Amino acid sequence: MTRKKRRLWLLLLCALGLGSATALTLTAFQDNLVFFRSPSDIAREAPQPDRAFRLGGLVETGSVVRETAPDGKPEARFRVTDGAHGVSVTYVGVLPDLFREGQGVVTLGKLGPDGTFRASEVLARHDETYMPPEVADALKKSGHWNPNQGAAPPAATWNTLEPASAQPRRGS
Amino acid sequence: METADTSPGARPLPLSAAPPRAGLHRFANPGRFLQLSGRVLPWLAAAAVLTLGVGLAWGLFLSPPDWQQGETVRILYVHVPMAWLAMGGYAGLAVGSILSLIWRHPLADLACRELSPVGAMATALCLATGSLWGKPMWGTWWVWDARLTSVLVLFFLWLGHAALVRAFDDTERGARMGAILALIGAVNVPIVKFSVDWWNTLHQPASVTRLGAPGLHVDILYPLLVCGLGFSLAFAALVLARTRAAVMERRIRALQLAAARRADIA
Amino acid sequence: MSLHWIHVTVSYALVVGGFLILAIATTFRHAAAKRRLAQLDPRAARRGQDRAQDTA
Repeated sequence: MTRKKRRLWLLLLCALGLGSATALTLTAFQDNLVFFRSPSDIAREAPQPDRAFRLGGLVETGSVVRETAPDGKPEARFRVTDGAHGVSVTYVGVLPDLFREGQGVVTLGKLGPDGTFRASEVLARHDETYMPPEVADALKKSGHWNPNQGAAPPAATWNTLEPASAQPRRGS
Repeated sequence: METADTSPGARPLPLSAAPPRAGLHRFANPGRFLQLSGRVLPWLAAAAVLTLGVGLAWGLFLSPPDWQQGETVRILYVHVPMAWLAMGGYAGLAVGSILSLIWRHPLADLACRELSPVGAMATALCLATGSLWGKPMWGTWWVWDARLTSVLVLFFLWLGHAALVRAFDDTERGARMGAILALIGAVNVPIVKFSVDWWNTLHQPASVTRLGAPGLHVDILYPLLVCGLGFSLAFAALVLARTRAAVMERRIRALQLAAARRADIA
Repeated sequence: MSLHWIHVTVSYALVVGGFLILAIATTFRHAAAKRRLAQLDPRAARRGQDRAQDTA
């Protein structure tokens, strides 16, 4: 019984030490664990020129311009915003399927001297909501949600909506 | 308690007599475990097959596509249960390791040893299906963000545990080393879970367990829950069957050893 | 079949295949252990596994 108890206390002590060590390490490396920086981060602390980093945020509504570069490749210009600040981005290449206005994106590239971010890679970042197309259409039609403007309304208002009868939105 | 292994008298078969020495009580519990689990296992396996059949068919053919991800969203029904099993299974491994370290429960040793390869498989499948999902949706197979990296670490922990417990000739020593590794690695489980909340990641935050309401429409949520239950039952059935096999194998070794010892004496 | 369905199919095949392979391997291992144990210890094996026939 005492041996068992001693082992138990030893284990608890080890867990405490390990837990605090991990918490300290994670806090110390906080900055390196961040996968992307937001436009506000960049406004607050300008990144070093010629250092590649990841910029993430939402594609600003009405900012996307698709063109064809002189060499025939598709080129896109858009702004990445987090509400408070925005950064202009140019990208030559094929955009992911999920790319649209209001969608989350993470871009890898360098900030030019003119303040334009030249991306070499654009990844789409989708949110944690999943809904059938009929439900999304119903929300859009009823004016409760414009996907180009941002995130879906609170899930409780739509996650039990009947897709079949969703066309004229009933009170929920 | 269980006196089943002691024979009341001489029996015709020389091998049938269990050795009266070498800690019979250690087999008493596993004996009851074999009996009990033998009764539960067929039901568990049948429930797993049934639930999985319903859940996978539901997810693959009957559930709606997502409004922006289209049909690719169906990977959710296999990817998310694998992620749950990878983490939930590891929590189980941690509990088993505590039982084995503090109470020296011999069944816990065996269960942990048989759990880790199954958990490693679930984690590998989680990574593989996530990769297959990320390519069409995010536009990349892999990124080193906090979620993906911590799950990769989880996979290596599973593999490391499976290898470590098998690396020692002395199985008890191996079990102890494995239990220590499993408990050290347990700090990674909350990191996996909360990585999407603590840091910017490409991976989206949790949908099912988020505050307020699940971010999934019920037509997507229900098949996911059925698949989650089905895979959990299958996982449990696999681990239980493997543990049963391990208990029987250990008993076989003990009987063979006893027979050899008797042959030596004779 | 679109690219999306290919990714879905491969995912399902991997997961179901992985579980199936492990289940088959486990069944064989379990059956082999049971058979060997029955050889070594017929009484215990009978008692442990078919209690329905064991009226004692």
